[in-house]
Order: sequence, then structure tokens, then C-alpha cells
Amino acid sequence: MKTKSIFTALAAVALIAFSGLAGANSQELSADSALEEIKKRGVLRVGMSTFVPWAMRDKQGNLIGFEIDVATKVAEDMGVEIEFVPTAWSGIIPALIARKFDVIIGGMSITPGRNLTVNFTAPYAHSGQQMVANIELAEGFALSDFNSSDVTISCRRGATPCNIAQNMFPKANLSRFDDDAQAFQEVVNGNSHAMISSAPKPRFWTNRYPDKVFMPVDENLTVGDEAFALRKGDPDALNFFSNWILVNTSNGWLQERHDFWFKTQTWADQVEEQ
Amino acid sequence: MPENRPPPALLKARRVKLLDIVVISIVAVVVIAIYYRVEHVLVYRWNWGLVFEYFIRIDEVTGDILPNLFLKGVAMTLRLAFWGTIIAAVIGIVMGLCRVSNSLFLKSVSRLYVELIRNIPPVVFIFVFYFFISSQIIPLLGLDNIAYTASPNTIAVLEILFGPIGIFTNFLAGLICLAVFEGAYITEIVRAGIQSIGKGQWEAARAGGLSRFFVLRDVILPQALKTILPPLASQFIILVKDSSIVSLISVQELTFLTQDVSNTTTQFFESWMLTAALYFMMCFPLAMLFQRFERTGLGIQKH
Repeated sequence: MKTKSIFTALAAVALIAFSGLAGANSQELSADSALEEIKKRGVLRVGMSTFVPWAMRDKQGNLIGFEIDVATKVAEDMGVEIEFVPTAWSGIIPALIARKFDVIIGGMSITPGRNLTVNFTAPYAHSGQQMVANIELAEGFALSDFNSSDVTISCRRGATPCNIAQNMFPKANLSRFDDDAQAFQEVVNGNSHAMISSAPKPRFWTNRYPDKVFMPVDENLTVGDEAFALRKGDPDALNFFSNWILVNTSNGWLQERHDFWFKTQTWADQVEEQ
Repeated sequence: MPENRPPPALLKARRVKLLDIVVISIVAVVVIAIYYRVEHVLVYRWNWGLVFEYFIRIDEVTGDILPNLFLKGVAMTLRLAFWGTIIAAVIGIVMGLCRVSNSLFLKSVSRLYVELIRNIPPVVFIFVFYFFISSQIIPLLGLDNIAYTASPNTIAVLEILFGPIGIFTNFLAGLICLAVFEGAYITEIVRAGIQSIGKGQWEAARAGGLSRFFVLRDVILPQALKTILPPLASQFIILVKDSSIVSLISVQELTFLTQDVSNTTTQFFESWMLTAALYFMMCFPLAMLFQRFERTGLGIQKH
């Protein structure tokens, strides 16, 4: 869903330079696990970033969303309190390494690059990427028609959609923005032919502006694997969270929550006026 | 040699002239044209009501009117600005005095500090420095688990002064970054102010038997303050605005929470326009206050 930016790399380098390398033998390992720290503290600290419908602010200013549900249940099952640490996306991996929180539950997709810096659990969600296009500019376009130097595609900077656009439509011009809302605004205004974003936002937008935009293909362009991210060198925590995901995949809880946030829009009146 | 200048004359109300009318009309036309473009060309559903709900909220249960994200952000920005101004001023004055000291060591240290800060972009500085502070300094001070170890009374006091305890260490790291960054500019302002006083004054006061400390305190600084105050004032206003940079390191101030609201509601024009207005409302009174100080000279010129 989202990829790390240059700042992440920069800060990671700084962090490694500033902090000594902690050595630990296998006996100390389990005592040093984040699990022990969480139990001792009685609070699970979760790093996340606002992204519809993963994590949002309702009108009371509270956090709601798919991963908010997930993290809350994880804490419940561990018998500890939950504490969310909203974090700027570009600095979320360095903040994890700097021990600002115990785990990232932030719709982070597994990429080999990131996996060199952090450990990933088994995936707890498989979000897809969807495309939304301007009716006036791209009516009747097949997917291959977007791969042309006359086409402009907008996407969120430092995120998976820009990589997909580059891979699928290498000839198209990319227009990068800080967030999805701006990228979409370019499409409605006819400055970009199309934009790519993670499901279900493109579909929501198509419902909102049906006379301006449409979805060239109904199915998702790609499927991603989103997982919890943990600091390296902590097999106990990795095992615990992975198996938590396994159990809640088997019993259908994750699928049910995912469908609620991604397939229905019954929650929408908590964040906008209908 | 500086002279004793008379205080600046107060502006008198003038009659509106033809040129004023022409300028005002041009501005009005531009504003209307922009409004027209936004309203009729830009495809955008304005929804101020929704964004205002994130300003103040009415509790669903008790019916109380409570601050929502924007106001919480303002409170956090004000805390950052308040502590940031104090710390940056202290750093700036100390480093500024070092800049003009006779010791080569002190001079080099402050020079190094100023040049290092001035020649790297604030965003890069804050990002790198933050991870240094939060991974080294804060554990060193034993503050990393303060939210779970401090007594309820301590937490209550800390929350009033520094905001929610859960992000206290973030706030502290952000505050130190901001103060160290702005301190470099204040250092230069203080240095320039002191150096603007002619060498003759130093020599005369020293010849009169005053020690270096008293020359600075009684002769140089009172005069220098007049030169220092205007740029210092604008630096403090810049500090309020620069505090938005620490949103990058997840201090939940106005800019960070605005991003949250605009991402959630997708009403980004309203969100950011409201935030711009809020920053203006914080900075403008500050500008007025400093203008007043400048006029009255802080009461220092009296003797």
C-alpha cells in the first residue's frame, strides 16, 4: 500500500550510526522480547498512520478503521491496554526502530526492501489497487491505452500506486502528490487522465462523482500483502503476532472486519455528511 | 557611531487617494476571479460544516462542547511555540555572546553551531537530529517510560505543560530540535546587534574601568537591544510557523492533525484554509505585541 521514502532511509542510516549495536545471546533473547516489555508495561503501543479506511478520525476525533479494530483485538487478546501512536508515514520505520512503539499495524505491504530493515508477520490483509479515470479524457480507454506519453497518471508519492503506474504504464507521465485526495482532485479537474490508489477509495470516489469519473476496470490491478512490522531480532514477538493473524484468519474474524471496512460504507456517516 | 534616534513617528490617518482606489479595485477583481475559478471550474464539493466539526465537537453523551482535533493542534502548537521561544532565546543569547567573546574556543563552538544549522535544510536537520535525541538523549534521561512510571500528580502537571503524556518524549524531542534550530538564527541576530555598537563605546567604557561583563550589561546590550528587537520578533513569529516542521516526527500539533483530518474527510481545501487562518491568528497578535515593544523600547532606554 505505501512504500518508504528517502527520509526513511536517511533516518535509518542516522539511527544505525548513532546507536551502538546491541548484542544478545539466545538466553537473553526471550527476556528482551517486546512481548515481555508489553506485558510488564501493561500497554501495547501501536504505530499507525491515517489512511482511509484503515485508520481514520471520526467526528469525535477518535480513531476508527480496519487496523484500529485489529490492533484493539490484539491488545484485548494479550490482556493489555492499547495505545495508538499516530506517526507520519515517511518516518514510521525509523520510529519503530527507535522504539517509539512495539509494532506497526499500519496497512504496510511487505516489500523485499523494507524486509531488510524490519521483520514482517504473516499478512493480515490483501488489499488491491484500483484505477479511477476522468470520463471526458479517458472514456472507452482499455488498460493498454493508458500506456502512452499523452497520458498523465497521478498517484500518492512514496506509495505502492506510483510503482504500479510505473510498471504497468511506463510511457505515461506520472504526477506525484503528497496524498490521495490531491491526486484524485487532479483527475476530477481533468489535469490527469487517471489515478491509482488502494481499494476501496477509487470505488467510493466513483460513487461520489459518477458524472465525472469512472473505473476503467472493475477488478483490482494488483493484490498486495499487508502485515505487521516488528523490529529485527525478536522471534518471540514475530511468532506471537503471526500466529494471532493465523488464528484470526482461520476463524474468519479478519475477513469479517475487512469486509465491513472495505466492502460496505455503513461506517461512512462517522467521517462525512451523507 | 550610532546616534540617539527619536522614536518613530506614529502613522497618521491619511485620506484615501485615487491610487488607493485603483489598487483596491484590482485586488477585488483578482479575488473575484479566483473565487469564480474555484466555484465554477474546479470540481470540488465544499463542505465547511464537516471540517468545523473537527474544530469543536459536541459530546454525544453529555452534550458538552469540547475541543476537537484542530483546537487540540492549536494547543500543542502554542506549547511548542512557548517553550521553543524560551529555550531558543536562551541558546541564542548564550551562543551570541560566545560569538563575540575573546576566547577562540567559544567563538569556534558557536560559529560551528551556527554554520552547521544554517546550511542544512530544516527538514533534514529535524529528521536526523530527532532520531539522535530520541534514541540517545531521552533514554539517557530515563524518560522513555515516564508515561507508565510517573505518579498521577506528576503526569497531570506534565500534561498541562507539555500535552498528552503518551507522546511526551516525542514532544520533547521535537521541542529540542525546534529550539536548537531556531537558536542558531537568534545567535546571529544577537551577534549582529552587539557588533552594531561601535568599538569606541567598548574602549571608552573599558577605559572608564568597567569590567567586560559590566560593559556588556550596562553599555552595549541596552543599545544593542534596539537593533536586535525587530529581527528577533520576526524570528519568534517564524518559530511559530516552523513548529509545523515537527509534524514530520509525529508531534501531534496543528499541521499533523490537519493532515489527519484532510486525509480522513478528503476536504483538504477547507482543512488547510482553516489551518492557515489558525496560524495567522496565532502569529498576528505576536506581531502586534512586538511592534508595541519596539515602540516603547521595552522601557530599557530610560536611563
